[in-house]
Amino acid sequence: MSETGIIDYAVLIPLLPMLAFPVILFLGKIFNGTPGWVKNAKEGGIIALTVMGASLVLTLLLIKEHLHHIGSTNVFTWFESSWWNPGADVAITTKVFGFGIHIDHLTVMLLFVAAFLCFLINVFSIGYMNTDPINDNRNHRFYAEFVLFCSGMLGMVLADSFLWLFIFWELMGLCSYLLIGFYWERPSASYAAKKAFLTTRVGDVFLIIGLVMLWNLFDGHLDYAYVFDPVNIAAVNSGDLQIALGMMFIGAVGKSAQFPLHVWLPDAMEGPTPVSALIHAATMVNAGLYLVARMFPFFSGAELGALSTLAIIIACIGGITAVMAALIAFVQMDLKKVLAYSTMSQLAYIFTGLGSALWFANNGHDDLAAFAMGASLFHLFNHAMAKGMLFMASGSVIHEMHHAHHEVAHHDDDHHDDHFDAQSMENMGGLASRMPITATAMFVGSMSIIGIPFIGGFWSKEGIISSAWQVALKEPIFLLPALLILIGAGMTGFYMSRMWFMTFAGKPKTEVAEKVHEQTAWIPIPLVTLTVMTLGAVVLAGMHAGNWLGNFETGHYSNFFDGFGTEIEHVFLNHDPFLMILTYVAIGLSLVLGPSFAMALYGGSLDGGKKAKPWMQWAINLSAKVNKNSNFDNSKWANSSLSDSLHKRLHFDAIYDAAVMKIVVGFANLSAMFDSKVIDGAIKTIESTSQNASRKIRSLTTGSARDYIMMAALGTLAIFILLWGVA
Amino acid sequence: MGTEVFSTEFWKAVAPEAILVIGLVLIFVVPNLGNSKFRIPLTKVQIPWFLGGRRFKFTGSPAIPGMLAAATLFTALGMMVIETIDGKMDTTTVTSGETVLLQIDAFSRFFEIIFLAAILLAVMASLDRIPANTFEGKKTLDELYDNRRQADLYILMLTTAVGMCMVALAQDLFVLFVGLELASLATYVLVAFHKESKAGAEAGVKYFIVGSVASGIGLYGLSLLYLEYGSLQLDVLASDWDGSILATIGLGLVLVGFGFKVSAAPFHFAAPDAYAGANSPVAGILATASKAMGMIGLVRVLLVVALPDVDSDGSAIWLYTLATLSVVTMTWGNLAALGSTNPKRMLAYSSVAHAGYMMAALTAVGAWKWGEIEAPVEYAHAIVAAVLFHLFVLVAFKLGAFLVLGLLEMEGGASRLSALSGLARRDPLIGTAMFVFMLSLAGVPPLAGFMSKFLVVSGIVSASIGDLSGSVSFSDLHWIWWLALAMFINSAISVFYYLRIGVVMFLDVPEEGRRKPLPYGASIRMAIWICLVATIIIGLSGDTLIDMCYRAAESLNLG
Repeated sequence: MSETGIIDYAVLIPLLPMLAFPVILFLGKIFNGTPGWVKNAKEGGIIALTVMGASLVLTLLLIKEHLHHIGSTNVFTWFESSWWNPGADVAITTKVFGFGIHIDHLTVMLLFVAAFLCFLINVFSIGYMNTDPINDNRNHRFYAEFVLFCSGMLGMVLADSFLWLFIFWELMGLCSYLLIGFYWERPSASYAAKKAFLTTRVGDVFLIIGLVMLWNLFDGHLDYAYVFDPVNIAAVNSGDLQIALGMMFIGAVGKSAQFPLHVWLPDAMEGPTPVSALIHAATMVNAGLYLVARMFPFFSGAELGALSTLAIIIACIGGITAVMAALIAFVQMDLKKVLAYSTMSQLAYIFTGLGSALWFANNGHDDLAAFAMGASLFHLFNHAMAKGMLFMASGSVIHEMHHAHHEVAHHDDDHHDDHFDAQSMENMGGLASRMPITATAMFVGSMSIIGIPFIGGFWSKEGIISSAWQVALKEPIFLLPALLILIGAGMTGFYMSRMWFMTFAGKPKTEVAEKVHEQTAWIPIPLVTLTVMTLGAVVLAGMHAGNWLGNFETGHYSNFFDGFGTEIEHVFLNHDPFLMILTYVAIGLSLVLGPSFAMALYGGSLDGGKKAKPWMQWAINLSAKVNKNSNFDNSKWANSSLSDSLHKRLHFDAIYDAAVMKIVVGFANLSAMFDSKVIDGAIKTIESTSQNASRKIRSLTTGSARDYIMMAALGTLAIFILLWGVA
Repeated sequence: MGTEVFSTEFWKAVAPEAILVIGLVLIFVVPNLGNSKFRIPLTKVQIPWFLGGRRFKFTGSPAIPGMLAAATLFTALGMMVIETIDGKMDTTTVTSGETVLLQIDAFSRFFEIIFLAAILLAVMASLDRIPANTFEGKKTLDELYDNRRQADLYILMLTTAVGMCMVALAQDLFVLFVGLELASLATYVLVAFHKESKAGAEAGVKYFIVGSVASGIGLYGLSLLYLEYGSLQLDVLASDWDGSILATIGLGLVLVGFGFKVSAAPFHFAAPDAYAGANSPVAGILATASKAMGMIGLVRVLLVVALPDVDSDGSAIWLYTLATLSVVTMTWGNLAALGSTNPKRMLAYSSVAHAGYMMAALTAVGAWKWGEIEAPVEYAHAIVAAVLFHLFVLVAFKLGAFLVLGLLEMEGGASRLSALSGLARRDPLIGTAMFVFMLSLAGVPPLAGFMSKFLVVSGIVSASIGDLSGSVSFSDLHWIWWLALAMFINSAISVFYYLRIGVVMFLDVPEEGRRKPLPYGASIRMAIWICLVATIIIGLSGDTLIDMCYRAAESLNLG
């Protein structure tokens, strides 16, 4: 089925940013440093903003159209080859080389998240990157790589086959490497870039293997139209299918930084903050989720129960990561690292939700599957909005800390401290009154991630937890992930509150923190927008996002005013007492228990009678009260060996590094030797041989017409001999 | 039934060509309009005669011939495009008594479009490259020379166009030969046009001598064919073709003649000299239009005349010959280009290599075991269409590359690689355009050059598979499969020297005396943009053009 309308232009959504990549790079190379380029073009930022804006507008139009034509597809033909396959029944066959577009709810959700956040992050970058002197003369590189990255995500989501998905997937892999290593002169940044690239590469190898298996199973097809056809799925051996999908899932694990391929994500913080926001909220990590969600039709189409094992594995990986990441987040002092681990943990929730959805789908519970899928996608949306905002807010904090540090260091030379860490929460505190917009954004974002009722992530997290438990009632092994994510909910409450209170409540812990104030243009725009979006998630909840998104092709949203009541009833007064109790346990853990501990440890009133905005002041007052009245002493915990190993990220990095050092580096040296000796040697031989041949051959071109005629005569003779031989 | 020569229908059918001739005459006449009077003998009556005398100011402007040439070519090209674009091209045959002379069909029109497009672009480039200095005041000697020679240049270019169109239309090998010589003679002079420069004059003479020898050999071949069959009509030859000894010798000799025109090794030797000595726009014409003209000859002789009948078995008699020629040509061209440090010679050798690719495609047509295959003619059409496509897109990126060199020639020579140094920094847009042309020549997707190579290679490969089905093993494939492989390896070699241009343009520092911005040259730049846009657009969406090529190939009466 091919539709017409905006979808005819949908290919522009990834194409525009892709075309902007060389343009920005190129113009930047030429105009670098000229006042017009810096002031008016914002070193490429404005060009990037224009194309991302155009992509966003097209995306919104496409979504509007999609709500009326559900499940549309379109193919943009590059060229048709009319004689490639002569062996078939028809002598002349046509093979279309093109880029196909497939649009359903899943596409639309991811597309919106990517286009919207990329646009806002772009706005943020103009404020953040262009005022940082360290970026002088290379911001065009940032914007060029940025748009290419966005193009990768947008293209991957729109593609109508696993092949194109893979191509864009790899494009993102490349860009993540470039962007994480943006400050390549820092050893830690180039190390982090390599780590991210190689770790995701491990997953990608499996993804390729999975895709090749899939290609074999489906008779040389990787396009959704063919592989998702229930008739074709039924014809495939489900054991083989499960292995193929499992391989692809490992790819998703790498991309979405799940246990055990999670080690790259915290280090990816070495990139500039907009990159962190881009990777963690808008694009890269969502790619893995998208891939798993895309597998949904396999699960509903395959034999009943045949793929359950994979669904359980997916959920378990999610459960384990959720708790593990939350634990490590407990002890992080770096503002961005806390957020990084929180990303891992929240993605793990979504994986558990997807696992539940896939389990339901494979066991014939279509309604429950759609609900779990919808909840997972909804959580993806909420998490992306909140996390994008949190990262940008943390960027705002760090940026202003830098500025303040420069001021302080400038005024007083004694204070000049090169080792000042602008990202460490130990240097912050009391910023709520000094950075009201940022503090508000972080406040709302944290509440959304924690799952405070009525705000953002609450709506979807409840759905995921209840889905997982519903599976657990039918399948005992599922108790593990279900229990883990329930515990994780409380832990989220702790580490997110800890982060907020350490940064914004209490008294400033350093002189720098006292001097901080919001001053950079452009930065507040995305923060305010996303605060509104996060609070606005309630609208989607009222429209039954849970049920509607999960049916990729047929689901239809309900009117907010009709749906909101049902949603409230469904969440708080569920007719199933088990689910109702579950909800209140989760709320209790995340709203009361986690934050209480955090308040007891890190709460405190602002300095010198300063006041935060009223919507935050109550929390600060409360935390001060809790802090004063509790004698909770965590020194025993803080000095325990558990805390020590948490500081060391549960030793994963050390073990991986050791393994990498021993095995990979050895192998790499071997390959390097092979490369320089055999391959380079061969190429050099070929090169020198052909240059020699070239010299010889050109020496025949003497420049004398007589010789030319001589050669022509010889050629004529050769033609005769050849013709003679045949005749 | 055909149209008689010089009937009303004839003029309708050949209107574009007639316009070319009229334009040609106008370039002769217009600059010579003046106030001269003719006195009737023995009287004192003076009749205004207008030719000669003091020239009128307006018509005498040295810029007029170039404008006239561009307008003429543009009009003729436009008429042809309008005629063919909708795909409902009528076939008109022009006869003189029983003899079929010309045929206007999709195939010939397609080639004429190639010729006129290439020459039009070259004319546009020449407007700046050999500028007419209309301003008053003192002029240098070179400028005076340039002014004097304006009409000559464009007359020669239009003559080339007329000759080439004649080759495209010809249905009789003799008519074809006359057209070929008309165009060739004009190009010989064009190559030597800058007679002050030693290189140009020498190149022109060499090109003329070797070209004359090749033409002579070809003409001798034609005479042998005439001796055997008593006619040089294509349809007569095609129906009578039996591969007798005399005819085979004739075919071999004709092959030499056309081989020189497409610059197939070992008849290509004069070509690099000629390209290097000529003006870049002229070299561009040689590399595109002139090559296409030779390719018409090859297609007419090899595919129309000397192909076995569809229902007979066995492959064409020239199969091994052409296969050998094509592999030698492409390898020779690429290897020679590899070590060449003169960008114009490099492009010349690259154009030799491209001739090899196209001949490989033609070989694939001859490889058919006609009669054993389900739809052989369709396959043949597809392969010929690939060749036509290749010839067309060459006008975009090969000519475009020559035009960039032409722009460089405006500030000095372009015969050393260092002339291109730092071009990307001096003029980023021109540098990018040149880089795109190089990528396209190398066959990088999604540019036009990739598409043309893809079509040719896939044509050869599918020809080698034939209608084998199921799991095909290597030994089952026809050996022409190796041609595709040779082409593949050669393409890989060629990437080296194409990308070297990019390296020089982007990374090297401009040489002394080339630090200033490039000369402006509005119309040569416009010609370069047209080439650039065509290279990209055709690469991204070549459907229309492929259809056109296919229709052109279908109108060819193969076998």
